[in-house]
Amino acid sequence: MNTLTNFYREREQAILGGGFILLLILIWQTVPALISLPRGIALFFTTPVEVIKSFYQLVVKNEIQSHVYVSAVEFIVGLGLAILVGLPLGLVMGRSKILDAMLDPFVTAFNATPRLVFLPLLILWMGIGIWSKIMIVFVGALFPLLINTYEGVKNVDRVLVNVVRSFGASEWQTMKVVVLPNSVPYIVVGLRLAIGRALLGVVVGEFFASSRGLGFMIAGAATNYKVDVVFVGVAIFMGLSLALTHLVKRLESRLSRWRPDEVKTY
Amino acid sequence: MAFKSFFSDYQRLLLGMVSVIGVVLLWELVFTYVIPLNPFFFTKPSLIAAAFKEQLVSGTLWKDVAISSKAFLLGFSLAVIVGIPIGVFMGWRRRAEYTLDPFFTALYASPLVALAPLLIIIFGVGLTGKVALIFLLAVFPFIFNVFAGVKCTDRLLVNVVRSFGGREKDIYFKVILPSIMPYIVAGARIAIGRGIVGILVTEFYAASEGIGFAISRFGDTYRLPDMFAAIMVLMIMAVVLTEGLRKLETFLTPWKTGQEAR
Repeated sequence: MNTLTNFYREREQAILGGGFILLLILIWQTVPALISLPRGIALFFTTPVEVIKSFYQLVVKNEIQSHVYVSAVEFIVGLGLAILVGLPLGLVMGRSKILDAMLDPFVTAFNATPRLVFLPLLILWMGIGIWSKIMIVFVGALFPLLINTYEGVKNVDRVLVNVVRSFGASEWQTMKVVVLPNSVPYIVVGLRLAIGRALLGVVVGEFFASSRGLGFMIAGAATNYKVDVVFVGVAIFMGLSLALTHLVKRLESRLSRWRPDEVKTY
Repeated sequence: MAFKSFFSDYQRLLLGMVSVIGVVLLWELVFTYVIPLNPFFFTKPSLIAAAFKEQLVSGTLWKDVAISSKAFLLGFSLAVIVGIPIGVFMGWRRRAEYTLDPFFTALYASPLVALAPLLIIIFGVGLTGKVALIFLLAVFPFIFNVFAGVKCTDRLLVNVVRSFGGREKDIYFKVILPSIMPYIVAGARIAIGRGIVGILVTEFYAASEGIGFAISRFGDTYRLPDMFAAIMVLMIMAVVLTEGLRKLETFLTPWKTGQEAR
């Protein structure tokens, strides 16, 4: 008994957290067995076992792979473009006061507005192919990256900048030696936020207008009342998002290990 | 001299205004004199302004805005009512934190909009579906910000209330609630953005009225000036709400820069 309580005490957090999720899944699974659902609700109901079964079916029938592939391409290309544009722009805005002042109204306005509002426009311009989704991912992920890079540059230690300047460093060298290493943790935070926005762009873009992709699969399944397929799609998105966020968080704590704690909390 | 100091004081503001006016002018001039305008593909500021004025006068836009706002307010209030108590509970009770934190973190980190089609087929294309999605998206910023706020509550204040014979209720209302206010505001700022996403997604996907529906319908019918006018209205609303809350946040906690999760 004593060893059991000790065992529990040491792992209380994991047991309670994992147990709660398991409990919810169990309840979800047993609901239709315990109470007979009215027809109206039974239509929208599925159980975890059904979801896993239909996931297996989709994989075996080779249906889900192409959807995942299209969504992954949209995600990666869009996010890649956002990094290519956002980082340099953030660095330049952080270093140049004039550019900062001139671009700030646009950055503030676009950052405050959910960029999803441009989806119909992007579809009108680029059609329902892959590019309208890549662009919505791009505009979604651009601003978190840009703003966090900018904040990183702004929060650089002035003393360090002055030291390398005094030793005759050029703007480029200052950037390379002081500014960039200092803003890396901020950039990683930006990346974490950008991943969330990018996934949002993929999902919604594909709901609205597309002929391939996981979002398309979810929307199509919902209109056909295939609720288990909806949950397969949702579960894949959830898994991807959790895995990526976790990865970036690991990176974050690794890169900011040398910093004092007050900076880490940011 | 006076001019010079005026310029340096307001340099940021002036440069910002110059660049905004410059972009609008350039946009207008380029499409008037340089590139012939294809009205099915692009538009220019003068046409947008005309469309905006027409919609203001006829009042159709306001109707759409009102319909979306109603859904937004309902979903958002529900998120406040549900989110804050859960956040306080999680922050105050260690076991509640252990139990609920992994589950809610998983939900917060995942793109819950993926559930939108399901919510729409369950609740219909009307108000309920919208409110459900907005609530689902907006509740987690409240939970987690309040949770962080309670965690940061000054233990000393709690002990003072206890020492002077205060009850659990006094701790909640005299210590915890005041000290989590800035966190609630920060949560509200994030929740507003997510709530607007909820409106847009449900209205793009399936709706018969609302600002998101208006934008997507104008796009489908190639009425680009009207579409840009509607987008502008949404942008202005989003900027006013978010920046207003950001100001409130710096007013409540001047020491906290509050940059995370913008």
